Amino acid sequence: MEALLEEHAKLEKRGNLAKTIEDVQRTIELLQSARDGLVANPSPSPKALEKLQKPTKLLNDKVNSDLTEIYKAQNSYSKALDKKFTGKLYMDPDGDALASHPHLINQAISMHLLREGQFSVAATFMEEAEAHPRAPEPTPGTPDPYAAQGEDKRKVTENFNAKELEQQFSDMYHILRELRTRRNLTPAIAWARQNRETLETRGSNLEWELCRLQYVCLYKNEAWNLRELGQTGGPLGAFAYANQEFKHFHRRYARELQQLLGALAFNENLYDSPYMSLFFNETAWEEVATSFTREFCSLIGLSADSPLYIAVTAGTIALPRLLKLQNIMREKRTEWTTEEEMPIEIPLPPSYHFHSIFVCPVSKEQATDENPPKMMPCGHVILKTSMDAISKGQKFKCPYCPGESIPREALTCRF
Amino acid sequence: MAELSAIKLNAESQILLERPLLGVPYELSRKKFATARREVDREQSFLTKTLSSASTTSDPVSALDTLISRMANLKRKLEVLQAEETELQEQSKARIEHLRALERIPTVMDVKYDEWSRTRLNRLLVDYMLRSGYVESARQLAAEKGIEKLVDVGSMVECLRIEKSLKEGRTAEALAWCAEHGKDLKKLNIHLVFELRLSQYIMLVREGKLNEALMHAKKHFYTPPNEKYRAVVMKAAAMLVLRQDVQVEPYLTWYSPERNHDIAAMFVETHHTIFGLPKRPLLHIALSAGLSALKTPACHSKHTSSSGNASSAASTLCPICSKELHELARNVPYAHHTKSHVDPDPVVLPHGRIYGREFLRQANEKLGTEKGMVRDPTELDKLCREEDVKKVFIS
Ligand SMILES: [Zn+2]
Ligand SMILES: [Zn+2]
Repeated sequence: MEALLEEHAKLEKRGNLAKTIEDVQRTIELLQSARDGLVANPSPSPKALEKLQKPTKLLNDKVNSDLTEIYKAQNSYSKALDKKFTGKLYMDPDGDALASHPHLINQAISMHLLREGQFSVAATFMEEAEAHPRAPEPTPGTPDPYAAQGEDKRKVTENFNAKELEQQFSDMYHILRELRTRRNLTPAIAWARQNRETLETRGSNLEWELCRLQYVCLYKNEAWNLRELGQTGGPLGAFAYANQEFKHFHRRYARELQQLLGALAFNENLYDSPYMSLFFNETAWEEVATSFTREFCSLIGLSADSPLYIAVTAGTIALPRLLKLQNIMREKRTEWTTEEEMPIEIPLPPSYHFHSIFVCPVSKEQATDENPPKMMPCGHVILKTSMDAISKGQKFKCPYCPGESIPREALTCRF
Repeated sequence: MAELSAIKLNAESQILLERPLLGVPYELSRKKFATARREVDREQSFLTKTLSSASTTSDPVSALDTLISRMANLKRKLEVLQAEETELQEQSKARIEHLRALERIPTVMDVKYDEWSRTRLNRLLVDYMLRSGYVESARQLAAEKGIEKLVDVGSMVECLRIEKSLKEGRTAEALAWCAEHGKDLKKLNIHLVFELRLSQYIMLVREGKLNEALMHAKKHFYTPPNEKYRAVVMKAAAMLVLRQDVQVEPYLTWYSPERNHDIAAMFVETHHTIFGLPKRPLLHIALSAGLSALKTPACHSKHTSSSGNASSAASTLCPICSKELHELARNVPYAHHTKSHVDPDPVVLPHGRIYGREFLRQANEKLGTEKGMVRDPTELDKLCREEDVKKVFIS
């Protein structure tokens, strides 16, 4: 990019019309002074205009060379562009699996905008999308799975409640703002309490994490909303808070509770106490904000980060390989968009792995509902189809150890 | 390890997708310059002509007045073009800087990459909105995100305007556009002008203006661009006799309202080709690649999977399993894997569910399971004794 930037700087300097305009201005001045001369002279010679031919021709040439200069600058910038983008990608896959579903894409975008808190863009978008829905344009080889089922099925999938989602996300952003910018835990704690049962079933610690932070905040006398909390600051206030609010946590968080309350005894030299990490954790606020976002989204059936963002990012990581591959596959007349499984492995960062993957060591296929993993009594796992092929219904030897088993002893596994 | 190649950012290959980002302002700026060139040529030849025939001029002062006012007019036009050029160059510069920022990010785990990639998503969304004709949404999003210099609202709005005029059966705007892009059309061997003239001809025949149709044909169809069009011209000529009564192709298509839509689509495709834009929104292409790269057989499995369920103890929901994309991902291929990815130290519960040992321990701690027992964090009603949890070998 450095080279391109340099080339662009040259273009800015040479590739503009400033000189041309100057020279046109000179022509105007030349004509103007000739006109003034004619008006001043009561009997102008008809040759007066002819005399202008030479000087205007010179100026015309000047203008033309000004323009040639720009042309050269643009060409040289264009060459630099071509050089930067030598490995030109053919960007138009024949199949566009998504072209059959403009409504689903619009829906995904609406939900994305809402979850990002861009409520007014979302409103405009939904309005425009409803007024002018895109027509499905199935491309060859990428069938529209709803074509047979008709419009009804399509409508059902469109049924996400934008108003409700907007309300939910505006609540979420309100709570997050209070947490992050005002260091006010009250709304978050209230939400966690309201959803206590679901959160506990999920094994979430959110309510405890929030209350614990509130306790620490009181203890360090950093809570600014004491009146609202009905507490006094400092260790005594914290103790009163714990007494009042922690009952619910006694059984599940017994050990941590002892640690926290134990800090009271170390009031004088907190820095040396074994609980220091709890009390001087600078990132504590960001951590609770993150857990809160995750729990909040999970409870409404959504992932914590925008799926559209994650998918598009993963897509752009994958795309250069896929497009190159496509150029090869084009000759074989197959498309990566129409196969059941992608033809190549796309390495993605670990944070992009969300499910466990089981690849059968025998057949190299992935487990599916129809072809689940089977664990033999020895503890080795292969896919059902592989086991069927090896055993043919009879007693068989595990391909990875001397263990022997019969097919019905194998346990169907799930990840 | 595969992990290293997975997190290293290959900026070069990602930049390959961004050719239109720099290509569009360059093309626009080339067009502005060509306009300047045309204006200058016209005024210069007028000037030369006027001055060379000066000896026959009866009123030299008024001849000069005309020249001066035309030159002043040229200067004004050039100044407008210059201002537009400057704006385009600023756009280009901002875009080069944007791509340069990517080159400086080492891994895809970097927070800077996250920020960059979010900007790119917004760019792709603006592009998608514009292609769909959702101009107001596009403008608002670009303004809210401060990425006006990185998106091409102006040229897309122009494209939409002409597309709309064609759908409504008007050809003038498109013909004017073709005149401006004549060289490109010729280079790419696209016969949009011929199609537009044919549309005009069909319109004339349909309205019964046969004489005008004949004149039109003589003027525009005299030299068809190739053999295929020679045949088209023959069929068009037959229309003068057959009029609208024929129920055969190509006349059915020519007379149908589809014709306007086809021409509009042809125009849009031509426009995108000239500007080096992909035919389909890059959002589609990137999203479908991403859906596939992330999709696993588990995402649309009948069985609740460990991270696909809101009420399970798992931490983050998979983006494909999330409501937004779940339906959309249903008919794209799933990712190819050559080896298993499972939590370290896998163990199996008596009913066949497999977890990493440490994950299972932590989940049960959070769930407050009684001592000596283990609960399946996904199916909470499945409780077993600790000694029934068995080691499993995944290779
Ligand atoms: Zn074995
Ligand atoms: Zn999933």
